[in-house]
Order: sequence, then structure tokens, then C-alpha cells
Amino acid sequence: MGAAPTDDLPSETRAQFMVLQRRFVAGLPLRWLEIRDAPDSLSMRSALHRLCGSAGSYGFERIGQCARAAEALASGESAAALAQALRVLETEIGLLQQP
Amino acid sequence: MNELRRVMCVEDDPDIRMILEFSLGTLGAYQVCLCESGQAALSQAPAFAPDIVLLDVMMPGLSGPQTLEALRAQPGMSGVPVVFLTAKAMPDEVEELLQYGASGVIVKPFDPVSLPQDIRIYWEHRGGRRTD
Repeated sequence: MGAAPTDDLPSETRAQFMVLQRRFVAGLPLRWLEIRDAPDSLSMRSALHRLCGSAGSYGFERIGQCARAAEALASGESAAALAQALRVLETEIGLLQQP
Repeated sequence: MNELRRVMCVEDDPDIRMILEFSLGTLGAYQVCLCESGQAALSQAPAFAPDIVLLDVMMPGLSGPQTLEALRAQPGMSGVPVVFLTAKAMPDEVEELLQYGASGVIVKPFDPVSLPQDIRIYWEHRGGRRTD
């Protein structure tokens, strides 16, 4: 799991947060498919934008940063740069899926 | 009402709603009303009577600013502080959001541990009481 912003909390509360983190991580593959299979750039930007907003709040700043970088490229000026940013995001999401 | 108790959160992303409930309900011990759309917020605001509203900016259907305008028109809601939640943090974008009459802007991602205190500051800055 990523760095948790709840390290100073009581153990029971921290455990609750970790349950939420696991639920968030479990949903990331579906979020990734929504991004990868987006029918247009607007839909892709929207999905990336939502991931930017949520990932860091769960302590996964790296995912949020990668999503923000891809969102900035999703307006279509450089397909190669966007593809590279999406590969990085996919890799980061994949790393979190490992036991 | 001189105590911050009831917080309405309007957010279309279920993951954000879940962390808001943890932050404000579990950690902040506030009574939280979660709404998945602006329309849901308009429906639930009269009965819930929020002390403060956290409002996502980009939502399908009614946007955050549109929801704010409609909430302001409801009886008893004109003085309730509304704080926008947004993943856009450019100064001009924040300034534009404040022009709609919001009390503040909280940028996503947010720290779920400090959020309860952050919204209390906005609420206290507002005067700690409903103005109508």
C-alpha cells in the first residue's frame, strides 16, 4: 500500500482506513479500463481527472501524479507522449495489484 | 446553531464519497449527508439542514456552481457556507470559483485527517451561525 496520511491515528481507525485503501486499490483495474477504453478524449480526461482527485486522498500520491500527467496530455497534441504517460499509469496501477 | 454538526457532501465519485465519510464522519464525528449529484443535494438539503456544504465542481447534470446557485435559492440555505471541492488548483480557477459565492475551495486530493479541521475553519470564518 502507498504512504498513508493516517499514521498517527489510533490503530482501530487506521485499520478502517486500510480497508478503504484496499477497496480503492481493488477498483483501480476497472478505472484503468475506463481510461484505456474511453471513446473520446473528453471521456478520457474526465476519467483521469477523477483519478487525480481520489488517489492522493487514499495515500496513493504516485497514482494521482501519473493520472494528472496523462490528463494534461489527453487533449491530443502528442499521441506518443500520452501513450507513454498511460503506460506509466498502467504500470503503477499494476504494481499495487501485486500481493 | 453555534456548533458545526451537519455536513453535506456533494460528489459524484463514489471513492471520494467513501473517503469523505471516513474523514468527516469517522474522524470528524460530524453527521454526514452524502449526495451523488447536485439534484440529490437539492432534494435532501431541506430535511438535512446542513451547517456547511462541500460541493464538487465537475459533476454530470448540475455542475457545482449550478448547484450552489440553486441551493442558495432554497429557504434557509442562503447563509450556509459552501466550499468547493476541485482537482483544479490554478489560482485563476480558484478565484473564478470564489466569484460564485463559495466560502472557499478545497483541492483534491485532500488529507482526510486534516479535512475535518479545515472545514471547521471555513465554518468559523463564516461566523459560526446561520444568517437567515
